[in-house]
Amino acid sequence: MRLNSRNEYANEAISQFIDIENREVSVAALNDADLYELELERIFAKAWLMIGHETEIPNVGDYVVRLMGEDQVIIARTADGQVHVSLNVCPHRAMHVCLSDSGNARVHKCIYHGWAFRPDGSFIGAPIEREQMHGNIKTKEQLGLKKARVQLYGGLVFATWNHDGPSLDEWLGDMKFYYDMLFCRTDKGLEVLGPPQRLTIDANWKTAGEQSACDGFHTLTLHGSVIDIGAMGGEADTEHESAPAMYGINLSGNGHSLRCIAADTSWALAHGKGDLTPEERLEAFPPPGITPELLPELKRNMSAEQLHVLAKAPPVVGGMFPNMNILFIYSPLRDGTLGSALVLHSIMPKGPHHFEWTTYYFAEKGTPENVKVMMRAAATHGTGTSGIIEQDDSDTWPHMTESAKGVIGRTETLKYQAILGENRPDDWPNKAKVYEGFGKDDAQWEWWLAYHKLMTAQA
Amino acid sequence: MSVTVATVTYTREDQRRDEVPYGSTVYNSIMGFLIREARLLDHRDIKAWGELLAEDLEYKAPVRITRRVQQFDQEFGTMGHFDDDYNSMMVRITRLITTTNAWSEDPASRVRRFISNVTVWETDVPDEYEVSSYLFLTRNRAEAKDYKQLSAERNDRLRMTKDGFKLARRSILLDQVVLGMPNFAIFL
Repeated sequence: MRLNSRNEYANEAISQFIDIENREVSVAALNDADLYELELERIFAKAWLMIGHETEIPNVGDYVVRLMGEDQVIIARTADGQVHVSLNVCPHRAMHVCLSDSGNARVHKCIYHGWAFRPDGSFIGAPIEREQMHGNIKTKEQLGLKKARVQLYGGLVFATWNHDGPSLDEWLGDMKFYYDMLFCRTDKGLEVLGPPQRLTIDANWKTAGEQSACDGFHTLTLHGSVIDIGAMGGEADTEHESAPAMYGINLSGNGHSLRCIAADTSWALAHGKGDLTPEERLEAFPPPGITPELLPELKRNMSAEQLHVLAKAPPVVGGMFPNMNILFIYSPLRDGTLGSALVLHSIMPKGPHHFEWTTYYFAEKGTPENVKVMMRAAATHGTGTSGIIEQDDSDTWPHMTESAKGVIGRTETLKYQAILGENRPDDWPNKAKVYEGFGKDDAQWEWWLAYHKLMTAQA
Repeated sequence: MSVTVATVTYTREDQRRDEVPYGSTVYNSIMGFLIREARLLDHRDIKAWGELLAEDLEYKAPVRITRRVQQFDQEFGTMGHFDDDYNSMMVRITRLITTTNAWSEDPASRVRRFISNVTVWETDVPDEYEVSSYLFLTRNRAEAKDYKQLSAERNDRLRMTKDGFKLARRSILLDQVVLGMPNFAIFL
């Protein structure tokens, strides 16, 4: 059996891809069909995956179709307001039940033989009821669409096939304290600014996955053009030391990560020198996505400890293991003011050499409508398909994957040997692993350790 | 209003008046403009192309969504792959032509833009025209033997000025829901 051989293969070989002592990962891991199949089983069928936001389906019956790994799922809202995630595969003959990306339906009826399902995935029946076309071996209760476990967090829809695994809270661990500062900070919460961008990148999903775990170092070179035209702030003589995200505080836990940029650095880039206390600065210069009218809500929803972090060094970029990338960044708006862009990506594998890169833009619901429109334009300008920052990333990942195809190339390693080490400042919360200084490989290596742990976990 | 999918009229059919006859002087000069800008972009004369943009430019490529036939009027989202105005386009152009490290197009793709099926309408504004055209684009990079391809319908607003036609609006309606190329580091 192939599955058995894969299990044996896994037990022996996964550790060979990852040299824990020397902090190296074999390039071969970016081009291995068997490893890829195991990743689908052990990571994408086990992890909590972010697959959308509840504001995409505000009304009863609204649905969107998304990917969990290579599996299509339907995210739908039922009459009681709950969000359900069901496999988009008819239990009868495996036809896709939903054929459009989004819509509204009280009944999802398969176009092949007409089996019908409710938005929660439960089976209503097959046509010609008296003929009982679902047979009498299985009950109707057994013939619903396969259901994923769902948890909403800050309106984000998380789902997993691991019904007995950790809760989302356990999965996020200490990092939830920091993620709350991005996703759970206002009364009404976030909303999407439209249906996501989707594109295919000819690269292994892990190239983008590991980068999302706080690779700040690449900013200097890969995004050098954006620094050179002044779009990241700073002056010609200071740009490389003051370039955003070079010095800061990296956070890591369970493979999740966030990068906090000192607020005084961001303030200096935006406004020049100024002598403000952290509290005054938080007032004058709220974290990305918080407009002045939302500041009282931020203060109400955050604990004193969280407000301290936000005033000192708010989290702005990072990731969530295994496949989510976060950019909640300051960005110039088209009216000339400094605003922000709130961006999430999901990285969904489509074979060893391809992934689908999905990009969501957000604003706090309480943001003025005209600002939302400008935030959407700013996000589109900097990130995603045509983003002047991220178009360079999408160019890099295919090259790494290509390198793994050579018999010699694949014997090379990805190296994570620039180490800062845990060094939590005295006034920083004692939560997650904390690395202060010039961002190094610590958090990215933690991503690989989380990968290793999940890939070698006994089923 | 649902923020997710809006009924967005990217084609601006409401602004179309009499159709300008195929082969007429105006039609030919607009055809010439479309060919010229494609040629400038294909030859990476991005600066000269930028001079064809009007300062009130709106340049968008909304994301496309697969919908049931009954919901064809909701095929395009409020989010786009481009969502630009004149200033933001100038930032893109400045990055591409003044820096030596805009890596997504260095080494550059080899791109050809094929423009066809051009229809021109008069509008309520003298010397302004609504123009619909088809775009077929091939993009080849490095040693790839295959091309990344793209097809789209473009709905433009062109304005005749003393310096010739300027592009005042372009809505690019892509045929792909999931793009096959990794970025739009190129203009459409």
